Amino acid sequence: MTEARGTFEVRNKLGLHARAATKLVQLASRFSSEIVISRAGQSANAKSVMGVLLLCGSKGTMLDIEARGSDADQAITDIGKLIFDRFGEDE
Amino acid sequence: MSDQPGPPSSTSLAQCVVLDGIAGSPGYAIGRTVVVDTRRQGGARRHIPKHAADDEVDRFTRAVEFAARELREVEERTRERATRLESSILAAYLLMVEDETLRDEVERRIRIDHLCAEWALSATVEEMASQLRSGGDPYLAERSHDFEFVGDRILGALSGRASILALPGDKAPCVIVAHDLSPTETVGLTRDRVLGIVTEVGTRTSHTAILARALEIPAVVGVAGLLGRVGDGDVVAVDGVHGRIVVNPFAELMAEHEGRSQRFQAAVLARQKLRDRPIITRCGVPIELRANIELPSEAEVALSQGARGIGLYRTEFLYVDRSSPPTEDEHYETYRRVIEAVMPLPVTLRTFDIGGDKFVSSLQLPIDMNPALGLRAVRLGLARPELLLTQLRAMIRASAHGPLRVMVPMIASIGELRAVRALFERARQEVDAAGHARAPHIPLGMMVEVPSAAIMAHEFAREAEFMSIGTNDLVQYALAVDRSSPELAYLASFFDPAILRLIAGVVRAGADYQRPVTLCGAMASDQLASVLLLGLGLRELSMEASAIPAIREAIAEVTLAEAADVSREAAALVTASEVERCLLDRFAERLDID
Repeated sequence: MTEARGTFEVRNKLGLHARAATKLVQLASRFSSEIVISRAGQSANAKSVMGVLLLCGSKGTMLDIEARGSDADQAITDIGKLIFDRFGEDE
Repeated sequence: MSDQPGPPSSTSLAQCVVLDGIAGSPGYAIGRTVVVDTRRQGGARRHIPKHAADDEVDRFTRAVEFAARELREVEERTRERATRLESSILAAYLLMVEDETLRDEVERRIRIDHLCAEWALSATVEEMASQLRSGGDPYLAERSHDFEFVGDRILGALSGRASILALPGDKAPCVIVAHDLSPTETVGLTRDRVLGIVTEVGTRTSHTAILARALEIPAVVGVAGLLGRVGDGDVVAVDGVHGRIVVNPFAELMAEHEGRSQRFQAAVLARQKLRDRPIITRCGVPIELRANIELPSEAEVALSQGARGIGLYRTEFLYVDRSSPPTEDEHYETYRRVIEAVMPLPVTLRTFDIGGDKFVSSLQLPIDMNPALGLRAVRLGLARPELLLTQLRAMIRASAHGPLRVMVPMIASIGELRAVRALFERARQEVDAAGHARAPHIPLGMMVEVPSAAIMAHEFAREAEFMSIGTNDLVQYALAVDRSSPELAYLASFFDPAILRLIAGVVRAGADYQRPVTLCGAMASDQLASVLLLGLGLRELSMEASAIPAIREAIAEVTLAEAADVSREAAALVTASEVERCLLDRFAERLDID
């Protein structure tokens, strides 16, 4: 059992909107680790698209991500990359 | 439009009604309606005994499985022809229906609060949706409908009722009329089956509108009172360009609609190539065409249609559907998004035009007997200065991010303009005192939409830094005509010589005081009218983004000398139809208008 964490800035123009949240949740669901995203004291299960949408993360928001489980490190790396890559959006 | 229905047999009895809504997807359609009532059903509300909790949680789990299976089936069925957008919406729904946060919260309410599954579910969805709405991001707020939609699917499964919209397969193409449509309902729709879509709720960014545009099905959304006015099998003409429908149109209206429809179809294809070319008259004079928008996300659509900035940004949506007015920061963030999206092109922000018929629950306004003439727009702003100050401070702060002008609606007297100017100064001092950045100078201008302002245009031009003529209200007030009345349609014309005279006066006043004058009503998006407006001296027009390509085309066809000629000729005419006829005689052939 390992723990990993990382802080990432939302860089895409639209923020954590429906499509971005969907991608994030689809990715998080591939890991067996428990993954929690927090922002300004509010936290959400990274495998719940409703939870992630309720974070209302706009561009510039800092997201703290914590993973706990056998694939925690990989989860943080991959999720961090998705956020950094603007969820595959152009801007 | 392939299947042209005749007038209903009971034409003489069927009441003709014009209903205004929001232009959801451009295009014209006419056909018989199929009314789809997808409104949510309340569901049971009962407490359960403690020992029944396990069973209740099981029921919920099975309903989730059923709803998920149903959604997967829709996905399978439509995989090949669904647009990328539809597929991504369906993917989001599939995640939501099996969502862990939703499940945990529903289970908690069943086990701890002893609610039945239906009640636990609707309470959870309601809470999450309202949380999303209060987040301040209009795009996310719109997504609260997705939560509700997903809740409805599960609720439907709990009650054992099928929830996917099935259109009668053997029917002729029809116009779909509904309270609202969800993506699982719209994926079943195709262009050969559906002529048009009309919904009672929704905005330009709701799914119905987005998908209708993607499918190129004409749509009008947000038509208040729709289901009370339209029955199954009525004939409805859908005008997705102007956001209007006509229920049971009489023959003349039907013919007019058909004419517009054909022109629209023919023009659409021809226009696509023009987008990035400069907008100039035939004699080479550049004309500024800007867009009227309502939501930050529309700014990009506007640019893609060739808009040279935003000529009218309506801020009303910020006030709708919420329990308290928006904060200064919410205003500021919204305006900043618009400004950054169109930088370096300019944006004109209009202060709120709420009140009157535009009901805003958070303000608890008195009910006016005559809303169009009541406490609305700047009148409300001056009656409740803290509301206007909040918005003005946010606008001033937003000026740090790009070129910006501030415009005040419904100004009827110089006193109002001066009072707003004083508030504007105060807001500026407060912004400076708080240490925020801002542009050194922010022009403060006004809408000219009340006849008194047009009549006194010279006096106003002395004090307003720019003027924008709002023809929709100007027509309504100058001719004393309710725009929604089909019987009075003959009066409600922006070609009325009285209106042309008022416009000419405002343009002259602007020229005398070197104040920019623009026009931002529906008149700007009419090809013939745009020629006339050039002739009257306007060089800047603002319109629905979808109208820009057609207006660009009209402008490219005429020289300023010709436009001035026809406006002089029109000035001697005495009725709206004479003016229109005169324009048609001169330009119909060239602009390809029948």
